[in-house]
Amino acid sequence: MVNMKKINTMLLRMILQSKSQFIAILVIIITGISVFTAMNMVAINMQSSLDLYYAQNSFPHFFIESTGFPENETKKIKSIPGVENVTGRITLEGRMLTEDPNERVNLRIKSTSSNEDSLCTNTLMEGTMNLKDIKDVLVIDQFAKARGIKPKDKITIQVGGLQYTLNVVGTVANPENVYMMENAQSLLPDSKSFGALYVTETFAQWAGNLPGSYNELLVKMAPDTDADILKDKLEDRMEVYGLKQTIDRENHLSNSVLIAEFTNLDTMADSLPLLFLIVAGLILMMMLGRMVKRDRMKIGVLKAIGYSSKSVLLHYVGYALTAGVLGGLTGSLAGMALAGWMTRFYLEFFHIPVFNIEVYFYYIFLGITLSTLICIVSGIIGARGVLRIAPADAMRSDAPKAGKRILIQDFTKFWTKLAFSNKMVAKNIFRNKKRSGFVLAGVALTFGMMLFTNSMSGVIDQLMNKHFTEFQKMEYNITFQKPVDSSTVYDMTYLVDVDAIEGKIEYPFTISHGNKEKTALILGLKRDTQFYELQDSDGNPVSIPNKGILLSKNLASALGIEKGDSVRLKSFIPGREDVYTQVRGIIKQSLGMSGYMNIDYMGDLLLEQNLITGVFLDSQDDKLNEKLIKAPNISSVMSSEASRAVYDEYMTMMILSIGFMVVFSGILGFAIVYNATIVNLNSREMEFSSMRVLGFTRNEIFRMILKENNILLIGGILLGIPIGTIFAGYSGAALSTDIYNFEMTPTFWAFILSTIYTIIFVTIAQFATYRKVQSLDFLGALKSRES
Amino acid sequence: MKILTAEKIQKTFQMGEVQVNALIDTSFSVEEGEFVVILGPSGSGKSTLLNILGGMDTPTSGKVFLRDVEITSYDEKELTLYRRNNIGFVFQFYNIMANLTARENVELATEISRDPLPIDDMLHAVDLWDRQDHFPSQMSGGEQQRVSIARAVAKNPEILLCDEPTGALDYETGISILALLKKVNLEMKKTVILITHNADIALMADRVLKMRSGEIIEDFTNPNPLSVEEIKW
Repeated sequence: MVNMKKINTMLLRMILQSKSQFIAILVIIITGISVFTAMNMVAINMQSSLDLYYAQNSFPHFFIESTGFPENETKKIKSIPGVENVTGRITLEGRMLTEDPNERVNLRIKSTSSNEDSLCTNTLMEGTMNLKDIKDVLVIDQFAKARGIKPKDKITIQVGGLQYTLNVVGTVANPENVYMMENAQSLLPDSKSFGALYVTETFAQWAGNLPGSYNELLVKMAPDTDADILKDKLEDRMEVYGLKQTIDRENHLSNSVLIAEFTNLDTMADSLPLLFLIVAGLILMMMLGRMVKRDRMKIGVLKAIGYSSKSVLLHYVGYALTAGVLGGLTGSLAGMALAGWMTRFYLEFFHIPVFNIEVYFYYIFLGITLSTLICIVSGIIGARGVLRIAPADAMRSDAPKAGKRILIQDFTKFWTKLAFSNKMVAKNIFRNKKRSGFVLAGVALTFGMMLFTNSMSGVIDQLMNKHFTEFQKMEYNITFQKPVDSSTVYDMTYLVDVDAIEGKIEYPFTISHGNKEKTALILGLKRDTQFYELQDSDGNPVSIPNKGILLSKNLASALGIEKGDSVRLKSFIPGREDVYTQVRGIIKQSLGMSGYMNIDYMGDLLLEQNLITGVFLDSQDDKLNEKLIKAPNISSVMSSEASRAVYDEYMTMMILSIGFMVVFSGILGFAIVYNATIVNLNSREMEFSSMRVLGFTRNEIFRMILKENNILLIGGILLGIPIGTIFAGYSGAALSTDIYNFEMTPTFWAFILSTIYTIIFVTIAQFATYRKVQSLDFLGALKSRES
Repeated sequence: MKILTAEKIQKTFQMGEVQVNALIDTSFSVEEGEFVVILGPSGSGKSTLLNILGGMDTPTSGKVFLRDVEITSYDEKELTLYRRNNIGFVFQFYNIMANLTARENVELATEISRDPLPIDDMLHAVDLWDRQDHFPSQMSGGEQQRVSIARAVAKNPEILLCDEPTGALDYETGISILALLKKVNLEMKKTVILITHNADIALMADRVLKMRSGEIIEDFTNPNPLSVEEIKW
């Protein structure tokens, strides 16, 4: 302070004098930069933690499933060029028996090798990993937590019709189960109903009736190997052992969902903070523009003393620069702290036990640079008026602005009927178009953001209702362990009381078009199915064609497919050749991505005639679960209600992150309206003072400003409707994933809520107006030559 | 020796939709160390003339010389240096920085000067030593004008240009400010050009230029300037 140049002392005091506005700008910058730094660091930390986790636990490049192959085959496969390491294991499907006879808990039971260099190893979370006894078992951590299973507990499982009681010795995490889903159909993790167990090879071979054999081959590829060529070689080799499917690392369910999550995080990290910085920049521009006008005389004096235009400009740009540097620095540090916390939160949420949290100074530097640059540019644009002020001109009063008729004066009938005070309000609004425009834009942006955020929860709810009541109409979705004859539909009617029932085929296929491919579920439905109501993007009903396939819109978009295109379907069913079929239509679907075919056509083309993989049914039978749980060939019974609960739980997580955005939007909206109002008031001090001298009371002046602001509020809200709708549409597309497809059309309630919130924000800002008008020193303002 | 010369200065303004001829063919010169008063009613063009002399404004036509150097051909950068090193301004409404103390206001000017005078000496000279840490809002008009003079003189300029320096002050304070300016003129050997509409102030000048409607109508030397204490209005 002692050695500070006096022009900088002035800057410091200028900042202190406008501290509330300065803080409002800082908050926006800090929010933007902290989100930018945090999210970017989280994305990198998550990816590096995952990479480290995969490396430490030797996550394979290929998972090859077959009906069974001899143990010694692994050694032979290891000698194939390009193969670095292989592990054979047994994977079995089973169930855990619980106290509730109606509860179905599915298990994936995998053998684990004690061999040190085996692939896809576990990380111990609790207990021990040492499986001494044949009946010792390791339970995957998230399943253990969801079901309250601890080491030393006993669990009873059923595999292939036989029951076993196993001793839990430890809980573990495994890179193949970061995002733990039963299969591609489920798409969402449900840790309570599906879990994974790791058992000894001896137990697995015994329970799976596979002595001396494995049914899954894990392969780690050597560096610089062509994955496609190796995959073909491996598949050729495994063909004789009843190859079922090969899943490469990119398409591994858990891994691909994680990658999609990280990509989303990356997108958010780049787009959201930019919006904040642009808003901060606009506010700075407006503030500095106004300051320069207000400080005309001061600028003139500084120039008269001998300060150059450049140094005076830099004095004002210094205001923006201080905001930029301070905001960038604080935001980066806050982001750094937030990144550590968020990474831990994400890693725990995804059950990644390996932490690799580092501080990336590059992002701190980038955050500060970005914030500083945007603020400097805004500062220069806002304060460039300094250059135009000639010192002598600054000493003279401004020439009065040329008076002009305003547009609505042309509507003479309307204009003449207006009360004088209302005419003043109208003239005030139109007189300073830039000022009114900023308030209008501020309100519109606030409303737009509110509309978008309020649309989110409504849309999620709408999306659930739409999917589970309008799109999918079955009460139960039952999947068999193996395809069965279609006559099983009739057998089912003897098992439970059925109101309606239909057979289905449900199989994952790799659908490819050109060089794009995607693994998705294809459903075979009756042509006149009563359990699905398919519609095209315009809402017109679509029936299942006799031949060809219907694709969900998100799947078609992902593959760049249009109606009439031909697609290749690659089956995971052993021995099946790829087939081609024509896309007969594209349908709207909000959850998941799927294809739909006529059940008979699908059977002919992809499976065998008269086979089904499950049924859809409606039933009032209270004991349906209890009755079906005993049926040996039933793999899962999912009620619509339960499916919805799983989605609901998942969405809760999403709503949490949306919550952050709501808070940020609120901060942003308030800062815009507050700053716009304060700047507006400061620029009109002289005008209000003159009115006080003329005899207007403080309340009359306040009411006049209130009227002006209310008109701008209404205008802003109207303008905000298209802004919010466009923003919602864009965000819907940006937030859509393979799991859900948002079509964010704001609901009626979103409009109502957004209007209420916007009014609240503007009203809070009006308090500032009220306080200002009440504390107006009109004599002081009139004495000053500066207005 | 002539320190400042104006040759056929003409200045036309566009005020909104009206064109104003503020100065018409104005010529005169000022000797080094002179105390010159430019006297004229409001709107006579005296402030415009002062601004042009001080390099704050440029004439529509005509020339201004500082000794032999033409300042009207200066670019913006040269004009800034001219104002910084050669000219000190004192304004009617003081125009000191509201968020700087008395001392800081003086420092604001000395920080950019080539050869500033000691700040402490200046504060003593204008009798503000005890008020140096006060902000303008804590000072009277007279005190603020003293700060303004200290700020102008502390840069150690050759010429002091004063635009109605007593215009906003009461009689007693006005007299004290005039006394201060006379002191600066005599003791610090600064050329002072003061503009006023108050004819009584002209009585203390070495030279008087009378203006009306943008023209100098009279230019005379005062053989017996009055001491400040003798002036009454």
